[in-house]
Amino acid sequence: MSGILVIAEQRRGELRPVTLELVSAAQQLRRTPDERVAVAILADEPDRFIPEVSVAGVDEVITVPVAAKDFDPDALEAAALALIEARKPAVVLVPHSIDAFGWAAALAVKGDYGFATDVFRIAYEDGKLIATRGGYGQKVNVELEFPGKPVVVVALRASVFKPPEGRSRPAVSRFEPSRAGTRLTGKEFIEASAGEDDVDMTSAEFILAIGRGIGEQANVERFRELADAVGAVLGCSRPIADAGWLPKSRQIGQSGKTASACKLYVAMGISGAIQHLAGMKHVSTIVAVNADPGASIFSIATYGVKADIFEIADALRRQFPN
Amino acid sequence: MTNVNAATRVLFEDFPPAAIVVFYVIAYTAIAVFFYGVYVAVRKYRRGAAAAVAGSLRARFWAMVETVLSHRTIARRDRPAGAAHRLIFYGFVLLFLGTSTITLDYDILGPLFHVHFWHGAFYLWFSLVLDVAGVALAGGLLYMMYRRGWLKPPKLDYARPDRKPGDVDYDRSEYRREDWAFLWTLLVIAVTGYLLEAVRLVWLEARPDVWDTRWWSPVGAALAQGMRAAGMSAAAGGAWRLGLWWFHGVLALIFIALIPFTKVKHIFTAAGSLMLRDPLAAQRLPRVPEQQQRVGAQYITDFTWKQLLALDACTKCGRCHEACPARAVGAPLSPRDVILSLREFANRTLDAGVLPEQAELDVHGKGPGQVAMETLWSCRTCMACVEVCPVAIEHVPIIVQLRRKLVEEGEMDPQLKKTLQTIHKTGNSFGESKRKRAAWTKALPFAVKDARKEPVEVLWFVGDYASFDPRNQKVSQGLATLLHDAGVDFGILYEAESNAGNDVRRVGEEGLYEVLATANIESLATASFKSIVTTDPHSYNTIRNEYPDFGGRYAIEHYTTLLLRLLEEGRLKIARQLGLRVTFHDPCHLGRFNKGYDAPREILRLIGCELIEMGRCRSNSFCCGAGGGRIWMPDPQGADRPAHNRMREAAAISGLQVFVVSCPKDLTMFEDALKASGNEGRFVVRELIELVREALSERQLAPSPVAA
Amino acid sequence: MKILVAVKQVAALDEDFEIRADGKDVDPDFLVRDLNEWDDFSLEEAMKIKEASATPVEVVAVCVGPEDADEALRKCLAKGADRAIRVWDETVVGSDAIAIARLIAAVARREQPQLLFAGAQSADHAFAATGMAVAAFLDWPHAAVITQLTYTPGEEGATLRRELEGGVLHEMQIETPAVLTIQLGINTPRYASLRSIKQAAAKPIEVLTPQELGVPESAVGEAGSASRVRRMYVPEKGRAQMIEGSIEEQAARLAQLIRERTGGAA
Repeated sequence: MSGILVIAEQRRGELRPVTLELVSAAQQLRRTPDERVAVAILADEPDRFIPEVSVAGVDEVITVPVAAKDFDPDALEAAALALIEARKPAVVLVPHSIDAFGWAAALAVKGDYGFATDVFRIAYEDGKLIATRGGYGQKVNVELEFPGKPVVVVALRASVFKPPEGRSRPAVSRFEPSRAGTRLTGKEFIEASAGEDDVDMTSAEFILAIGRGIGEQANVERFRELADAVGAVLGCSRPIADAGWLPKSRQIGQSGKTASACKLYVAMGISGAIQHLAGMKHVSTIVAVNADPGASIFSIATYGVKADIFEIADALRRQFPN
Repeated sequence: MTNVNAATRVLFEDFPPAAIVVFYVIAYTAIAVFFYGVYVAVRKYRRGAAAAVAGSLRARFWAMVETVLSHRTIARRDRPAGAAHRLIFYGFVLLFLGTSTITLDYDILGPLFHVHFWHGAFYLWFSLVLDVAGVALAGGLLYMMYRRGWLKPPKLDYARPDRKPGDVDYDRSEYRREDWAFLWTLLVIAVTGYLLEAVRLVWLEARPDVWDTRWWSPVGAALAQGMRAAGMSAAAGGAWRLGLWWFHGVLALIFIALIPFTKVKHIFTAAGSLMLRDPLAAQRLPRVPEQQQRVGAQYITDFTWKQLLALDACTKCGRCHEACPARAVGAPLSPRDVILSLREFANRTLDAGVLPEQAELDVHGKGPGQVAMETLWSCRTCMACVEVCPVAIEHVPIIVQLRRKLVEEGEMDPQLKKTLQTIHKTGNSFGESKRKRAAWTKALPFAVKDARKEPVEVLWFVGDYASFDPRNQKVSQGLATLLHDAGVDFGILYEAESNAGNDVRRVGEEGLYEVLATANIESLATASFKSIVTTDPHSYNTIRNEYPDFGGRYAIEHYTTLLLRLLEEGRLKIARQLGLRVTFHDPCHLGRFNKGYDAPREILRLIGCELIEMGRCRSNSFCCGAGGGRIWMPDPQGADRPAHNRMREAAAISGLQVFVVSCPKDLTMFEDALKASGNEGRFVVRELIELVREALSERQLAPSPVAA
Repeated sequence: MKILVAVKQVAALDEDFEIRADGKDVDPDFLVRDLNEWDDFSLEEAMKIKEASATPVEVVAVCVGPEDADEALRKCLAKGADRAIRVWDETVVGSDAIAIARLIAAVARREQPQLLFAGAQSADHAFAATGMAVAAFLDWPHAAVITQLTYTPGEEGATLRRELEGGVLHEMQIETPAVLTIQLGINTPRYASLRSIKQAAAKPIEVLTPQELGVPESAVGEAGSASRVRRMYVPEKGRAQMIEGSIEEQAARLAQLIRERTGGAA
């Protein structure tokens, strides 16, 4: 088996940028300089994405037409399976994304491939593919190997690999998969409805986020006030949004909006559950305030303050009198 | 010369036999109606669940008699009401005994044994005593009318916090009408009694044995003088006498007949409730029997006959309503209204000849007579209501029984749910690993013995807050130092200690309580010790009063008595007098629950603090609001909180320097409340242990409170 | 109609944990076990369908795990599941999500449910794969990260919503029988009182071995997995630079950082 196959992810006619991160990761997996990195586009109109995926490091773009406009796991699995069986790559890269949750594992089972998810480091060691991911709530690292699996499907964590700079002129080919019956049909996309308190997290540069550590709903106000005073957008972790204390649009984390423009992130009372960490790992300066010195968030934060969040909130508020 | 021995009153004088018969028919009818009412009430109580009565009924009876005669429970915290009720009570009792005496003479001893004693000197003294009794009765009644009509004390305001205007059972005018009717009826009976006495005198003025002894009935005599002066003739007196006789008699008989159907029944139900009281009702909650299908109280018939009787004992005096900390901060809970709701519900359903369908007996909800979830969850189980109730109604166990059903259905605040799950998983409410329970000991310069591994004299049961909360950890370290310096041989259970379960039980999670109690008792069984000491009044209460039901019997004290002993014995030497102006907040579970009022005060005296009591102190201490699991539930936004209310009370003490507490939850609640109520900087909150450490040390240990 | 709910007993790390001697896992003494948080939601969703249904619905909980996993199953029984099945024997040790999924699929073939629920991911290792792997073994329609479900027992198909990145929901229609993985927040899980858990202890838990399910030894444990743990290790301790000092000092440093990073905008 040779070659690295990147399966692009697209949604509603747009390429999801995480695809390019996969291309970067793929570069590390070339065992020889001429081992090929191919990007497969599985979509109803795959050609439109060719320019976007033609970034540095891509040797080939394979267009694979599938019948459904929207997400269709049956079609994706059948097409990917056929393509992999035809091309026999050593590694197949997909993003660790909500869509991939819905089909990657099934693909691995159908093809009897090696499989690992949420991988943030991947490399060959002594000729063996080693994928590193987290364990026990991100408190440990786990190195996985895939003995007896010539093909390995790996779902990579987002915001770990930087997209390549520069462009390329990859060869383009087309692969026709056999038709698959669809048992899951898309009906419509529903945007999170904009309410009064909604906010566009994607443009926020400074976010102050609160988590379960704030205790009760009554305390949200004082942190909102603090956020205003320091000039930050108020965000929150999933439990706060699920409880309805703040609108979903303010949720940071895997299912929330990626705060891609964020440069400074202050997390108060957030322990760092895996889903939350996924949403802000890319931020250049992360400050975590938490009374628990063992909170996972301290392992990815730039600065840490081990203190009672209410006391810090009050004291910080005093630093910004206005 | 008047024949004194002949002095008597001829009953039914000048009555045609038919009239006497009519009277007796009315009388027996009234008595029959009375007994029918008793029957309906007893049938209602018997529809409740079974209950055992501990102890000898005789002893209970005499204890009740003593309580009632002394009026101790009625005079508490309301001396004028106590005095007025004494007048009414003794007046009524004497008048009743008087009438019974007449019946005894006329209807029983006379016809059966030809014995008459109601004449002569006996009769004259009898008349005087009853006249005075009547004055007492009327005086008491008039004061009560003045109290209700003019003074209008807040506790007699029947506005209920658990309903809104527009709700079917919001309006309380019926109760007010009944109250006034009761007062007026008795007063009219008394007044017509005197008028009757007077007109009889006028009617029989010609008879010397009546007229010459008239001043033995001073009020009647005075009225008679006035009537004669106004020109009433003997004949007129006779006519009035006839009219008043029937009026007074029939009114009195109607009154008696209606006793079981009106507020007047409290004469019996209050006595019954007092007789059956459990002095540890709130401190020691009942277990759920193994084989019982449903847990807690869902239907009105789930309450015991004792509880149903107690519901009828309530006279709406409002003391519990006044004492309740939840009510004081506007929560939708008044203990009085829980009792009254259940009573109304019981009357509506259980008075009926045929018991309604079970579905109609569900007391949970927002319908008339039902109790809402929000009401039940507002309770802090501080037992201020139970403690002050003059007729020994036990509100807290009733509320906990209702909560048990809510817990089974999972109907509680999400945060409370989470905390219970956390306690189940980790054995503490903080969600911390068991291993970290004794982490607070690491900062000490000496090792704390592990009571699981070596025998100790005193086993210190630390408790959740004292183990895990940073502010309270400092206090624990302080006590450990004191014990160490005093040479006390003590140890702790380390990871083998779990949450003692007091509040889990009061939340209504009896299953989890059993798990915790059993685990702790097992841990204690592995240790060897003479007695237990604890810094946590909640743990103290449950280990002392409730663990015996699970097989764990120990000698246990709160640290205040141990510390006092160490100071008095000189094992801890006081180095300086602090000279601070302080007030002491009695923790509910130490003070009111277990009568531990004195040791902390004596300690404060020994270390030279000037103690100024707050108005609500000792048995009337005002709960910090954390009990009953409330510390695990969020407070409604913007609402007042009991701890803030208490801070305002403390702030009214001029020159106050320290608000002293001796409970970890109090420390947490009041430190927060100090800031939130805007009193930061005016005085500080300190645990008693911290003050003792200051007094034992030559130099100051901590930043000083506001300078003396 | 039957709903099979696959649950997992997850492990959380205790304080000061240690890695086992063979370097492949944490010393079990330091593991605190509990039912996976996502499974509370899966079970609740199954109970909602059962309680709203006019026709009888049987909810069966299944867990692959050793004896202490009975605790997780007891909780499911306490919340109203009708039956519980546990799959285990020593050969299962070393199984990854794919090998476990094979066993759950075998149980599904035996039980023939109309719906199979699993959690979207587990709180400990978060592979987020088991559910969809089961679907592949059964070749059933499948969808992951479901945040809303509409299903009437007896009717063909179900309507669901997947929760995508950015808070967008994708409404879809799926054929049944189907495998669905359930996301947090789909419902409010009920509380299982200690008493109901204790009473559930009386309900039997059926224990099956892979063999009894027709899964050969070559298909379980490491042999049946799609990956193998080479090494587990504790990564370098916290990158965070701790800001020390009193509360006021910490807050002052924080304020300084904020002003620096936001160009003094505040």
